[in-house]
Amino acid sequence: MQAIEYFEVECPEARGGENYRQIANDVLLDHNMLRVVQKIHVYIDPKVPIFVAVGTLKKITTVIKVGDIANVNPQEGKFTLSISDETYLAPMLKVFWDRFGKDHVDQPDRFTVILSGVSIGARELEEMPIIDPSEALYKDLVYALRCICPEGFRVRSENYGAEKFSFVASEDMLTDAGLALVKEKFALLGETP
Amino acid sequence: MILVPITYKGGVYRHSEIIDLIEDLGGYIVQKHMIAQEVVLQCFVPKDDVELIRAIGKPLAGEVIDSPLVGTEIAVVSMSLEIHHLPHPSCDIAEYVRRLGAKSNMVGMARGVGKRIAGINDEERDVINEHDAAVYLMGNFEHCIEKKMPVILRGIEVPVVVCGGPDKDVLERIVEPRVDGYVGNVGRFMHRTKESEELTKLDEIIAEITRVLGKRREEIAKDPLSVAPARLMDVIKEKVPAIHEVTSPTPLTVQMAGLRVKLPYDTFADVLRKTEIEDGITIGDITDIEPSRMRDYIILRVRPFSETNTVI
Repeated sequence: MQAIEYFEVECPEARGGENYRQIANDVLLDHNMLRVVQKIHVYIDPKVPIFVAVGTLKKITTVIKVGDIANVNPQEGKFTLSISDETYLAPMLKVFWDRFGKDHVDQPDRFTVILSGVSIGARELEEMPIIDPSEALYKDLVYALRCICPEGFRVRSENYGAEKFSFVASEDMLTDAGLALVKEKFALLGETP
Repeated sequence: MILVPITYKGGVYRHSEIIDLIEDLGGYIVQKHMIAQEVVLQCFVPKDDVELIRAIGKPLAGEVIDSPLVGTEIAVVSMSLEIHHLPHPSCDIAEYVRRLGAKSNMVGMARGVGKRIAGINDEERDVINEHDAAVYLMGNFEHCIEKKMPVILRGIEVPVVVCGGPDKDVLERIVEPRVDGYVGNVGRFMHRTKESEELTKLDEIIAEITRVLGKRREEIAKDPLSVAPARLMDVIKEKVPAIHEVTSPTPLTVQMAGLRVKLPYDTFADVLRKTEIEDGITIGDITDIEPSRMRDYIILRVRPFSETNTVI
């Protein structure tokens, strides 16, 4: 867990806490979350019952633009794009189809996309946004926290944004006292919610 | 003649000789697997002849292993079939039990999760009760286990082994009503069991199941069954040809005191009832033939000697 600056699991039952630390570690590792989570504090009390996870994320990569994954070569009446990173190729094609129509978008081979007869400048094309990875990232993070959390805790409150997240879950209705724990646990990280 | 459960592992080459030998000695082959060039036979053989099979199998690169779980059907009860409990540890344990010769079935409960909300329904209860033993895989918190165990053990009549995160002595203290076996430090985890200490834990679970089933065997021995389930299996194979059309890996699943027949109850219950075993004694005379809660299968429960006054 060297990648995470702060990682604590707090639980009144010592053995249960140890096991949950292992579970949290495995889940974050499996879901590839270690690279994005900076600090995380998990609190579980089976007697209440309540599960709280709060934390902060590392600076998340900004919006991916066409220029980030392809070299744009303006030619007479068309643009030839050489793809350097295939990861976001599918969403890029979708954006092109929506904007220019399928007739103007051609992909002769795996690493080449040709846009013909489009009215756009080279600069503008390079700056065209494709996807915001942070949206999917928060969803992945919440899914990972749902895996860590005991399964019976089905009443949940999930908050995320601005590189912070909080997740509260219980088997019963969430009370103000439960939600107040978020602030308390954020204080342990030296942060405010 | 005392029959003991063993597993024979060897090459495909001349393995039919081993099958003939086991049958000639009066043993029964419960399950046969052909995996690439290897044959695995799970069988019951006369105790005195184990060494003979070992000696004859040796030139064929055959190996004979004691498998106390052969001829048993075990329910691995998972609190749900969600990612939280699957594939680890439920599948790891179910697979390990299977490796030792048992037929394991995974029972995923509809509402087994949680502390207050946990529950068991009649179908789950009946399905679990159709097995020889049930292994309950619980979570990590003793408080939760203590609260939910009375509910999810309601109506369970078969021996139960409880696995949970707390230590064994804690489990023994908190699990109410009392069950037959406890294995501590095996709660919910999210990684594959690969480390040696985790494998030792799996061995511990097997040891506990073996101990629990051993006790059950002793009970059965006090009032012996009218017919050995393995023998019943052979009779059905011989006299009910429809069983050969079933594509399930184990069309006939041998249990300690019964047999699961994977044929539809409505069509075949009467056929089975009238099938003769020996000397005019039919299957219906010495067994209870009931519909199983698992699909439309049939479950045969062999009656003991004290009820039928017959042993064949």
